[in-house]
Amino acid sequence: MTERINISNLSKRYGATVALSGVDMGIWPGEVHAVLGENGAGKSTLVKILSGVVSSNAGSISLDEEIIRPSSIIEARRWGIATAFQELSLIPNMTVAENLLLPRASSGRFWPESKASIFERANEVLIEWEIDDISSQSIVADLTLAQRQRIELVRALSHAHCLLILDEPTAALPDTSWLFRQIRHVTSQGVSVLYISHRLNEVREICQRATILRNGATMGTVDLEGVDDEDIFSMMVGHESSHKNKASQENATNKEVLLETDQLASKMLKGINLKLHAGEILGVAGLEGQGQQELFRIFGGLHKPKSGEIKVGNKVTSLNSPRQALRVNPGIAFVPEERKTEGIFPSLSAAANISIPNFATTGWAKIVNGRLERHLAAEAASQVGLSTRYLDFEVGNLSGGNQQKVLLARALMTGAKILVLFDPTRGVDVGTKQSIYAMMRHFVDQGGAIIFYSSELSELVQLSSRCLVVYDGLITDDVAANEISEERLLASAHGPVNARKESIQEAV
Amino acid sequence: MNPFYSVTDKQDTRQAQRLNSTTIAVLTIYGLVVLMIFGSRLVSPSLGGISQLMNVLYLSSFLVICAFGQGLVILVRGLDLSVASMITLGGVLSTTFMQGTNEGLYFIIPGILLISALVGVISGLGVTHLSIPPFIMTMAMGLIVYSVCLGFTEGTPRGFPAPMLNAFMQNKVLGVALPILLMLVFILIFTILQSYSAFGRKLNAVGNNPDAANIAGIAVKRMTISAYAISAACSALAGVLLAAYANGATLRMGDDYLLPSIAAVVVGGSSILGGRGSFLGTVGGALLLTTLSSMLSALGVGQGWKTILEGIVILVALIMLREQIFTGLQSMLKKPN
Amino acid sequence: MTIKKMADSGLMIMVIYLIIFAIYAAVQPSALSAYSIQGLFNNSLPLMLAAAGATFVILQGGFDLSVAGTISLVNSIVAVLQFDGAIGAVGILGIALTVGILVGAINGFVVAYLKIQAIAATLATMIICQGIALLILRAPGGYVSDFMAYELTGSVLEVPVSIIVAFLVAMLWFVFRRTNAGRNLLAIGQDAKASELSGIDVARTKFFSFIWAGAFYALAAYFLAAQTSTGSPSAGEPFLLLTFAAVALGGTAFGGGRGGVTASLLGAATLVLMQKFLFSIGVSSFYTGMVQGLIMILAVLFSGAVQFVVDKRNIT
Repeated sequence: MTERINISNLSKRYGATVALSGVDMGIWPGEVHAVLGENGAGKSTLVKILSGVVSSNAGSISLDEEIIRPSSIIEARRWGIATAFQELSLIPNMTVAENLLLPRASSGRFWPESKASIFERANEVLIEWEIDDISSQSIVADLTLAQRQRIELVRALSHAHCLLILDEPTAALPDTSWLFRQIRHVTSQGVSVLYISHRLNEVREICQRATILRNGATMGTVDLEGVDDEDIFSMMVGHESSHKNKASQENATNKEVLLETDQLASKMLKGINLKLHAGEILGVAGLEGQGQQELFRIFGGLHKPKSGEIKVGNKVTSLNSPRQALRVNPGIAFVPEERKTEGIFPSLSAAANISIPNFATTGWAKIVNGRLERHLAAEAASQVGLSTRYLDFEVGNLSGGNQQKVLLARALMTGAKILVLFDPTRGVDVGTKQSIYAMMRHFVDQGGAIIFYSSELSELVQLSSRCLVVYDGLITDDVAANEISEERLLASAHGPVNARKESIQEAV
Repeated sequence: MNPFYSVTDKQDTRQAQRLNSTTIAVLTIYGLVVLMIFGSRLVSPSLGGISQLMNVLYLSSFLVICAFGQGLVILVRGLDLSVASMITLGGVLSTTFMQGTNEGLYFIIPGILLISALVGVISGLGVTHLSIPPFIMTMAMGLIVYSVCLGFTEGTPRGFPAPMLNAFMQNKVLGVALPILLMLVFILIFTILQSYSAFGRKLNAVGNNPDAANIAGIAVKRMTISAYAISAACSALAGVLLAAYANGATLRMGDDYLLPSIAAVVVGGSSILGGRGSFLGTVGGALLLTTLSSMLSALGVGQGWKTILEGIVILVALIMLREQIFTGLQSMLKKPN
Repeated sequence: MTIKKMADSGLMIMVIYLIIFAIYAAVQPSALSAYSIQGLFNNSLPLMLAAAGATFVILQGGFDLSVAGTISLVNSIVAVLQFDGAIGAVGILGIALTVGILVGAINGFVVAYLKIQAIAATLATMIICQGIALLILRAPGGYVSDFMAYELTGSVLEVPVSIIVAFLVAMLWFVFRRTNAGRNLLAIGQDAKASELSGIDVARTKFFSFIWAGAFYALAAYFLAAQTSTGSPSAGEPFLLLTFAAVALGGTAFGGGRGGVTASLLGAATLVLMQKFLFSIGVSSFYTGMVQGLIMILAVLFSGAVQFVVDKRNIT
């Protein structure tokens, strides 16, 4: 039997950021093949290349032993490759029928097909894939998220004659039985499925083999029958880091509390209680979308909680804007995960980017003293290990790692005592990571406090003096420094301990 | 200084010699202006002298002033389509209040600037707090202001500018016309304001990335509103000067400045999407457009060809300024090494 | 849902139009005569067509300033072509459309494929078109055949030609928005990224939106020449701001995705009717601009409020 799809040495760079650096894998006809990896391991880039959204820089994809290079969604569909995207790709103010049939909703080229006949055709598709609770005439914006997800899946199913790509297909589905029935149906006809999910029990239920990615490269392909969860986790996070322990940190929990929340609730959060002490690096672990993002944005003043209270330096405060968060004593500086969209000022120099807090709250007539600015910026830059020769560069031209250093230097520049860092090392190289770690340790040694989320468990293990695990809007685990291990965090992150055992038993 | 060796550093070192693309654009524009003025001597001996240079500078001073405001609004990702009406407002108010005397001149001019800035604040409020698209908001404000001018003057603006202003427009110091000196002073102040003050730094940050500016603690809405206010005041000031220059206001006196003010900003290397631009570039753009137009007129080129060439200059500048083309050129230059 | 549907289908602006018309007719009963209705529509048609064209570009999320230049250019060309009779008029129409489509294609190429920001790019093409117009026709004047000047502004079977044209455009839109091209146009205006992931060729769709726009501007210029019996190299200038005002009034969202050509046709008609109405009740013509400005702001605010209500409902 020859492989349906073979990917060899696939690589992709975005500017200076390497997203994929040599992915190799193959999928048999009729196989459901999982791709596993931490956030940022390159899964979504792989999906984008296979479905024709972006093109690779190197390497090849062959379909039934013929080299293909899809350059658009439509072209990929012509090869029989179709994708259900994680960030659903439906047009909100259009009917289900139109969305299912885009870009050729009407069968006539110049003359419109009647609505009835479009609905008719869409209904056939819906019936074929066993959807009976969604009318093809409803507007997508009126559907629930789970319904939208199923429409996205049906569209991919109906176009996938060779390869079906499912990127987190169950993120919004309450129940997998419908999806798995459809997957078994298409695989019985020889269609291959590439399945991406964070939920390992699902992967075990539906997939035969899994390819594990780390840092944009293939770590290996395994038969899911033959490996246990721990092996997979350690392949995902890397063997070498799992036992590397951090320098012991003194227990900071008896020091002054700088930030405290009481029953903090919002759209995703269901009552968060936490305390952040001076001199503490508080790690937060969790799967994507468990509410951690909202929690951090609340601290940054970008999101308003529905209920509960926040105490900063023992005073109840409302953080209505980032401006306020910075001004409240002892000051909260938030560094978001989206460098490009929320962090940098691309066409300003690095020095100007770092020193912006100096001007943000001062009068308009203050003249920018170039030398003083550079001097101040250089001081902050040296703390994050940013070489001073980059200070005159436009930040947009710097690599991701240096951009991140600039943002952290800016946070130091604010003089805030509390740093709120969301995934501060996402997509940066090892050297930069070490500089960032050094900065963080130095900052808390000076009496500051840091709360940080990371998608990399090894980092949480290395840095945290205490680590919280969030699941479904709640803190489900509070791990003390000497008990932190990647396995423990990963296990808790997959749900409260009992729930997880059940799901594993179910899967077995 | 950096205790950890980083791959990142190695990547960036290679870009160390990269010239700022805006700098290239600005230098090119000034080069073109000089080339055009002195090169035109080859075509016609009457051109290309110092007197033509002075003439161009004099004529471009109005455009330079309103283009500064337009540039600030574009910098914060907006567009000011009320420039023409604000010029008319400035002109009409000045001739109406001055009535050909010097009396109260020192109150009238600040008063006009204040009134126009308030109009700008209204536009800014509409854009920031009501989320009305900038061009709709400023276009509507322009229509309203123009209609007020029209109704107020009943179609024909009366009155004359203060004699002192007339004299100011005509007098020379050391052979240089006063408006040119005024323009030079403005260029100095505006450049400092846009590129070397806390205010300018914050505006740049807002235009670069409003979300990031918000996170950095900048009052984004307040900054945006102030850009619209300054733009309105600049246009009104240009109107006051124009009325003094022409010894009277007309209702359509601003029409010739709306599109050139946008064009000057764009040709000067600013991005129409905001976040990137220098006032010196805009001045270059204004000089280039004025030089082109006055040179073509002097050469007897018809209005049609003149307009076409102006359009082509803008289009070429746009295509040249695209980031990709610069990076493309840079990578081409890099390859031989 | 109902509010949104009304806003989308142009029903809202239709109601506004009828109300203003009713008041206008009450104030000035002669407004109901066939002659004055024909005159009103003849006056409205060029702006209606220009607004229809601009809507194609605005629906996909773009912007087109070239409306003024294209109208000036085509208007000048129409005024120098000395073809008489019905066949001549058809010939001129063909030439006008060709020129409009050509300008649209240049705009579309520069914006969709060279990826230059639409405002800046169309500013340049507008200026270039104005220049060419001046080369073709130095000063207002030129020649417009009797057929165009009388037949195209007259009536066929008691129905004014201008109403027929507007109706045909509305029908064209009715059909077009149900074709794949029309659906895709609306889709990329709503969410360009999702559209791309749905397999829509975004660049191509944008390109064709500019072509439609160019063709409609040409049509506007053609009927403007017929209505004024003359040509002018600056004929398009008043259209620059009024076109966008009409589109905004029709409820089409700037930024794309919501609205339609029919609504813009009615928006333009309302704008012209408003001028007549304000004049008839004795508001000095000096202040019509003020009313237009306020109406634009209110129209955008209103359509924003509708969107807000719709979004709010979707979240909960």
